Amino acid sequence: MIGRIWAIALNTFREAVRIRVLYGILVLVIGANLMTLVLGQLATNEEARVTRDVGLAGISLFGSLTALFLGVFLLYTEVQRRTIHAIVSKPIERWEFVIGKYLGMALVLSVLVAVFAVAMTGMLTWQGFGVSSAIIKALLMSWMEVLTVAAIAIFFSSFSTPFLSGIFALALWVIGRVTPDLEAAARDASPAISWTTKITLQIVPDLHLFAVSGRSVEGVHVSVHGDFVSWGYVGLASVHGLGWIIGLLALSALLFHRRDFV
Amino acid sequence: MSEPAIVVRDLRKTYRTPFRRKKVEALSGVTFTVERGQIFGFVGPNGAGKTTTIRTLMGLIRPTAGSAAILGHAIPSRDARRRVGFLPEAPYFYDYLTVGELLDLAGRLFGMSAAARTKRANELIEKVGLDRARSQSLKKFSKGMLQRAGLAQALMNDPEVVVLDEPMSGLDPIGRKEVRDLILELRDQGKTVFFSTHILSDVEAITDEVAIIARGQLQAQGSPAELVQKTLRGVEVTVRLAADVATAELETGAERVRRVGTELAVVLPADTDVDAWIARAHTAGAKIISVSPRHETLEDLFLREVANADTTVEARP
Repeated sequence: MIGRIWAIALNTFREAVRIRVLYGILVLVIGANLMTLVLGQLATNEEARVTRDVGLAGISLFGSLTALFLGVFLLYTEVQRRTIHAIVSKPIERWEFVIGKYLGMALVLSVLVAVFAVAMTGMLTWQGFGVSSAIIKALLMSWMEVLTVAAIAIFFSSFSTPFLSGIFALALWVIGRVTPDLEAAARDASPAISWTTKITLQIVPDLHLFAVSGRSVEGVHVSVHGDFVSWGYVGLASVHGLGWIIGLLALSALLFHRRDFV
Repeated sequence: MSEPAIVVRDLRKTYRTPFRRKKVEALSGVTFTVERGQIFGFVGPNGAGKTTTIRTLMGLIRPTAGSAAILGHAIPSRDARRRVGFLPEAPYFYDYLTVGELLDLAGRLFGMSAAARTKRANELIEKVGLDRARSQSLKKFSKGMLQRAGLAQALMNDPEVVVLDEPMSGLDPIGRKEVRDLILELRDQGKTVFFSTHILSDVEAITDEVAIIARGQLQAQGSPAELVQKTLRGVEVTVRLAADVATAELETGAERVRRVGTELAVVLPADTDVDAWIARAHTAGAKIISVSPRHETLEDLFLREVANADTTVEARP
């Protein structure tokens, strides 16, 4: 089982390398770091903050967008191009194929996060600032966010076209990122809207959990520059993300299992 | 006694059109058996249900009703797929891979060790004649080369049953002959080969058993010799005429007449008195070149069965 899943994952990663997705990632990293240098010059004595903010925002934004872009095509293209015919006719279960595809994409996204993280920590070191544990925690949470977004995209890709999957997944990502604002808005809204919003928030992954910098957690203002969340919080947020990933992959596998490949 | 290689019983598949949800019956109760060690040809016109049957056997499509088993395992079965090699119709592979990488991926899915994968891939690349294209990505392959790569990946696990959907499609005459030879070689190794095709001459040349499918229903099954009626359908006589001879008398009653220069070929109905016709030809100064009896061909049978299927469907209320 592991061998078959790994074979699919490796092939998915190889595809990303061959179609030059990783070169695109490299361009994004170089662009983000150039922006860091320019913005750092503009904000005197705030170079470290700019480097951290741009670096983490880059991971979250570009990582999530790459996850959405790769994810919505992932299963759809296999069915549309019929490449799946020569695969699922071999002794592999469809759920193993779905997991393999996800892991391959997760590997690509992990490379993206790692390259961004190395670039950011490299810049911080070069600028003479250290890399605190807060940065490590923020990086881990951004990574988990990207992996969760990838699972959302693959879920829609298991039954819908890339265009529709892209719209659905993007909507879920946006809603997931602004959950506290929606909660606040629901408090002042009419009962019907308030109820609808509460229901929506229950069925949408809370991606804001992964981007806590700048808000209060348990009464403490947290930031990647000073106080930041505990390792316990990082663990709980990761469990939340993993729960969504496993749930979405299980649903994707179920939907994929029922499909006819004509 | 061992289980048959493939058993299909009353297999049905109904699709619904996307918007109007209209029912389309792709398979209407297909039943056949493929014994082990046979070369089994599955023929039918476009849209007859050949590919739907094959995709159902390979677990790509779920049947609406009926059952099928490969090597005794009810489909969809991973145990069966472990022992089957499959070439899809007009195969699409990951075009960023080389043929070696494609075979390596297939070998991994069959759970083969790295050493076994490399050895088998090298053997197969050589066998299908892609040795010189090893370093090219599949993107640069011609249709025929892709078909060869597809055959190689279908044989990666040294399967007991090989299912080939239109294996001769896109191949030139040399390529077709190579595939025919490969199929015969597989049979000689004791493997069962089940293949679909439009090319009836290939079926006639190499199959032990043939099934004709049309409109989602099996129309006939048997060995080519059993299926093709041995009754005389006519006699073709070719003569060389003396110069300026009127041929009207010789052409009377002929089913078909072809004249090239002084050579006249006529196809006479089966009940013609051929001796009397030859005597008339001699009288007219013609010299007999050949006399050949015409029996029914697989193509005749195929066309008749397809026409019957069309008539039956149109006659339905």
